[in-house]
Amino acid sequence: MGRWCIDLHNHSCLSPCGSDALLPSILAMEAYDKGVEILALTDHNCCRNIPAFADACEIIGITGVFGVEVTTLEEIHVLALFEEVPQALDFGRYIESMLPRIPNAARLFGNQYVCDVAGTHIEEAELFLYGPADITYDTLVELTLARNGLVIPAHIDRPANSVTANLGFLPELPYSAVESIAIPPVVDTNGYTVIQGSDAHYIEHVGRRRCFIESDVVGFAALRDAFSRNTVSFLGNL
Amino acid sequence: MKNIEELAQELSYTVFTMEDSSAVILDGYTSDLLSDVMGNASEDSALITIQAHKNTIAVASLIGMHAIILCNGRAPADDMIEAAKREQIAILGTSENQFTVSYRLAKALGKV
Repeated sequence: MGRWCIDLHNHSCLSPCGSDALLPSILAMEAYDKGVEILALTDHNCCRNIPAFADACEIIGITGVFGVEVTTLEEIHVLALFEEVPQALDFGRYIESMLPRIPNAARLFGNQYVCDVAGTHIEEAELFLYGPADITYDTLVELTLARNGLVIPAHIDRPANSVTANLGFLPELPYSAVESIAIPPVVDTNGYTVIQGSDAHYIEHVGRRRCFIESDVVGFAALRDAFSRNTVSFLGNL
Repeated sequence: MKNIEELAQELSYTVFTMEDSSAVILDGYTSDLLSDVMGNASEDSALITIQAHKNTIAVASLIGMHAIILCNGRAPADDMIEAAKREQIAILGTSENQFTVSYRLAKALGKV
């Protein structure tokens, strides 16, 4: 039985609200230093920094999980996580295609830099990435699972952009897990496996909320296995 | 047509920040979905909402709104007040709900 430290909710300089200094490679390095072994990048509604993140994870020797934090039509934030880069890129393009046609106002919302593993800027995402994507909460859950992803409603105890705040309850759907900021959770989690994630927007946030899983299998499969058997534990945070 | 200071006094709302008290309010828009505000609100209107966080300021500034009225007793986060000062957007607050605020603001602006 193996035990891994996981952190599945993190942003990079691509998210408008993410620090320009939080390059995908910096995220991977910082998380590695903090003892994280399975790490996800989940920018808002866009996966264009996933290739750089995947390269960095491979170089550093940390298991990368390739995801996106989708804003649904109800303005609920949901993490969709994938094992392979092409799966994430395909899903990311699909989500981006459903964003409102509103250009980013960088002065107000922040920059949206796409970069390579060395941190060189390749391009800027033009549309405002905060969303919402034109997809309902229920459909997003269904679609992510149909594409073999893991689906996790984000920060369900937050007063804005959470399923609890925006719908008033947690609909009974086949989530892989739910993410709570507070442990023990202060909202009803209805028996779902609960995880914590850093939701890092700045370098100093990386690794601030981690949790641990136990599984007989390794890598992405360990997440699925541990969530289904609820072998998630918490040991306090940095 | 009234300025934000006159409206705050007339409606007896709490003032969380008001850098430019002379900003003129012509209309109102009531919504708790920021994407809806972005797509449909008009400039020089006050935003009536429960979204007491700094993204609301960014959206209001993008559109050219000068005031946000927080309902149901919601208080703005500190970083929301900071952003509002920077963008010269007033934040008012009240325990009234969005329906009541919408009606009272519309009445004060002579729209009903």
